[in-house]
Amino acid sequence: MKQSLQREKLGVRYGVVLVMALLALMLAACGGGQPAAPAGGDEPTAEAGGEQQGGETTEASGEPIKVGAIFDQTGPTADVGNPYSQGIVAFVAWKNANGGINGRPIEMISSDYSYQVPRAEELYTQYVTQDQVVVFSGWGTGDTEALKGKISQDQIPFISASLSANLADPAETPYNFLVGTTYSDQLIIAQEWALEDWAAKGSSDAPKFAYMINDSPFGQSPVPDGTAHAEANGVEAPLEVPMPRGATDLTAQLTQIQDSGSNYVFFQNVSSPVALALQNAQALGMEDVQFVCMNWCANELLISLAGEAAESVVGAIPFDPVGSEGAAEALDYATANNIDIGGNAGPYVQGWWAMAILMEGVQRTLDNGEELTGENIKASLETLSGFDTKGVTAPVSFSETDHRATRSLRLFQVQDGKWAPITDFLSAE
Amino acid sequence: MQSGIFHTQYAGDMSMRPTWPMRWRIVVVILFVLLFPWSADRYWLTLANQIGIAAIGAIGLNILVGFTGQISIGHGGFLAVGAYSAGLLATRAGLPMWLSVPLASLTTAVVGAFFGLPSARLKGLYLAIATLAAQEIIIWLLTHGDVIGIAESLSLPQPTLFGLDLTANGATDFSFYWIILVCLAGTVIFTSNLFRSRAGRAFVAIRDQDIAAQVIGVDLVRYKLLAFATSSFFAGLAGALTAHYRGIISWERFTVDVSILYLSMIIIGGLGSVSGSIYGAAFITLLPALLNNIGRAMGDTIPQINIYLPYVQQGAFGLAIVLFLILEPEGIVKLWRDVKDYFRLWPFSY
Repeated sequence: MKQSLQREKLGVRYGVVLVMALLALMLAACGGGQPAAPAGGDEPTAEAGGEQQGGETTEASGEPIKVGAIFDQTGPTADVGNPYSQGIVAFVAWKNANGGINGRPIEMISSDYSYQVPRAEELYTQYVTQDQVVVFSGWGTGDTEALKGKISQDQIPFISASLSANLADPAETPYNFLVGTTYSDQLIIAQEWALEDWAAKGSSDAPKFAYMINDSPFGQSPVPDGTAHAEANGVEAPLEVPMPRGATDLTAQLTQIQDSGSNYVFFQNVSSPVALALQNAQALGMEDVQFVCMNWCANELLISLAGEAAESVVGAIPFDPVGSEGAAEALDYATANNIDIGGNAGPYVQGWWAMAILMEGVQRTLDNGEELTGENIKASLETLSGFDTKGVTAPVSFSETDHRATRSLRLFQVQDGKWAPITDFLSAE
Repeated sequence: MQSGIFHTQYAGDMSMRPTWPMRWRIVVVILFVLLFPWSADRYWLTLANQIGIAAIGAIGLNILVGFTGQISIGHGGFLAVGAYSAGLLATRAGLPMWLSVPLASLTTAVVGAFFGLPSARLKGLYLAIATLAAQEIIIWLLTHGDVIGIAESLSLPQPTLFGLDLTANGATDFSFYWIILVCLAGTVIFTSNLFRSRAGRAFVAIRDQDIAAQVIGVDLVRYKLLAFATSSFFAGLAGALTAHYRGIISWERFTVDVSILYLSMIIIGGLGSVSGSIYGAAFITLLPALLNNIGRAMGDTIPQINIYLPYVQQGAFGLAIVLFLILEPEGIVKLWRDVKDYFRLWPFSY
């Protein structure tokens, strides 16, 4: 009896060993091979898109253009990471359904990386060395900064959802392109508006500012430039309050802000924690404080999560999700192809147009009859001057000395549960 | 046919690898690690380097948790100390890598011993929470870098070793493979021998019964702090290597998740085993890559599952660890020992 039990136990053990060995073999097989088809993180596939495009069903053929991408679909910024990734995937599918780029299809190789820097490094290396991608689309500030050395070495034109101004100097990071208004510029524009708003309210003394930020390089990114701008305008150094990851209550942080007597609070964080902060603020009765959202919390998700508490929040939105022709183009495609963007148009449109700008560089390289190398694509991107994004952003220009797409954006405000533009394009210059 | 390993001479008893199969195996392993980088591309080199660095850190943690029985959830913090010390020594003091790495490891050893002080009074879960505090304090200092005069992230100069440019022709991964390999080999040899020395035996005695250890003359506080220092030294080494290898570091790489991940490495690999730490490091590093590649292969054939893949992968990672712990609670090292025994004793395996 005992013997048979032991034998059974041994059997289980060898089962485990066998499974492990098989898995190891599979890893070797998969890792070494070349991908057969675009492995997007989401639907729809390029084929599905083709059917929806009416008369223009010119499927792309020819040698594929390989694009690498990493998304945060399961990590702490997944709330906006998901629709952003859908925007990127949808743009690629749409482009492929319309003949690709000069007849060549875009093949995107992508994966979720859960906002973990080591995972980002590993996937980047895999896509660049094994899959030989020519351009790359990243996500977070921490991982984009961690990769910047490799990006320059490998000469891979790289866009990222991170608009950290640290990545905008081509002398240091020649292959990083910032496709939108930098976080620093967003904050400066928002503060300019706050100063005017404060003066318009008839107050003669200087307002007080506070920053509530994601506790990470992403959150920290605009703080030094914002503080310098505030101090230059006679505002005392803004209070900086980090929002801990995964917090379920931010009353303590808001009380700190309340005690400091701040009039304007600027959020540099994603939607879910900011929605929580807005609800806590409402409970604390902070009606006389004006809340301002940077890029990643100024979207529809914030409104649906925070409800009434989001009313009258001002948003610095670099990619206009409402009212512009370019946004409608992206959103119509989503509707036509049943892409569920979870009602969060902002990040989706941002993903779509970020990819559109990167692909314009590829387009121009091919138009010039040049080989698709990182160096050529970079040079082509640097010829972009006043590139029209159909109203989604201000016209986009890159140069050899400046990789900031634009320094302007429009401010929006939540009015009756919807983002509505309250200014024209304002510049940080 | 053997019924066991019997020594007739003290030399055999003292030998690290007393039997011929053991010696052959180590030759095969050495040949493999020497030949591997010549045939591997950068992706595999990256993975190998990640495993190597994780293995150094895991061996360090195993000295503390597996051998001395002091639970630590502060390992990620100690990695950060190593990484930032190496980074600051390289950028501010301009020290070359062969100096900054050992100095950073020593710094971490001192910091580790300091945060090990509560172990004089605390045991078990209480000590775990005290080390968790160490983790949080270190990360707080780094996120509020202006307190100690450092920025959010730290860029290191191009790595060179004795005048050799390690990044030449994009060979960073290749050159670091050898550096990490040498460090790992040193760590393995040191740790294997540590447990044949007085200090190592004292560690094990403390783990097995601290009161009994005290009765036979082990100075508990001294040896516990020594264990913390030794463990942190290797955490510092792993951190310093990460800093030089990656060229840029931010605290995001060293959060409490990392501490937990290292704990899971040694639990899955095998507590109180040097080779187990290496297996565990390899397992934890390769599992996400494996799941990702499987997902990719499946996504090519069944595109509909693409939407769910990221979530399935997260779940599968957890499931694999849980299953592993249920089926083989003593870790990969026990699994490997069973396989060896099976073949050694075949066909009369019990």
